[in-house]
Amino acid sequence: MTEPLNVDTLDEASRVALERLILTLADSKRLMGIRYSDWTIGAPSIETGIAASSMAQDEWGHARLLYSMFKGLGKDPVPMEHDRQASEYASVAALDEEMADWAAVVAAMVLVDGGISSVLRSFAGGAFEPARNRVPKMLAEEEFHASLGAAWYKRLAAAGGEAKDLLTAATRSMLPTMVAWVGADDAGSRALVDAGVLEDRESRLAAFADRVGEFTRLVGVDIDSVEASADWDETRGRTTGQPNDEAIERARGDRNRALFVE
Amino acid sequence: MMREIVYDVFTRKDRGDQLVHIGYIDAFDDETARVYAWKTYDEEKWFEMCVVERTAIIPVNRDEGVFANARRADV
Repeated sequence: MTEPLNVDTLDEASRVALERLILTLADSKRLMGIRYSDWTIGAPSIETGIAASSMAQDEWGHARLLYSMFKGLGKDPVPMEHDRQASEYASVAALDEEMADWAAVVAAMVLVDGGISSVLRSFAGGAFEPARNRVPKMLAEEEFHASLGAAWYKRLAAAGGEAKDLLTAATRSMLPTMVAWVGADDAGSRALVDAGVLEDRESRLAAFADRVGEFTRLVGVDIDSVEASADWDETRGRTTGQPNDEAIERARGDRNRALFVE
Repeated sequence: MMREIVYDVFTRKDRGDQLVHIGYIDAFDDETARVYAWKTYDEEKWFEMCVVERTAIIPVNRDEGVFANARRADV
């Protein structure tokens, strides 16, 4: 394992890139939680709804841990969690809108939750010590999300008909932005690779392909031939667009925030 | 139509405790059964949890006592 990173020695560009990475991971976790929470009622069975509810809690817990990493960088995480507009969110584009059907939720479990875990695994193995300490437990909890996603993805792909069609459409829709995000290769991403915080682009993409390739093949998609979305927003470290306002109002807790007593 | 299987859920709270039946879940295979059981019965920090397909449980004494009485009452 590489030597721990001393964040005080980071140049300004690398520090901004590290903050951007933490924010895109934390925001993605928060939005993933919202998308799971949408299906606590309406999932195919009571057990699946309970699992969706539990996974939503996991994601929000992970988001909270990631936001708290800003303390170590001298920044207050509270405004990050509660005061930003949707246009400032750095969550992955595949979570911008609610999932249209259960097949899309299943695709998101495998490709989006799986993609976030893929980058988190790289982060946990890098030089940023808070990630080394906190991320492994997240990844252990994520194993249950991966198991559920894998079982459902195979089930829907094998079912054929409308189930497979919807799964295929969701897969094709989510992959280009996920490949762009996992394989980010702008100046900020390269700075993090140079600082030992993340593995290089090729390694991250290979890990992602290893993780999801066997599933995408079931719907006729070769992960290695997927073209990354080109509409990259370097400031936020994600592709262009933003989450819908309703999701961000829920993420910030707007409706009942005034009742919060600390 | 998706075929669902009943799995019984057993847990042990601490090392050395008896394995106790705490409930059941419906799932479509062993993998989903593992996840549903873990996520549904998460009120404790279990030392051990396992699931078993209900059809894999072999009755031993269903011809005796209350089982036999119940069967006679059904006839």
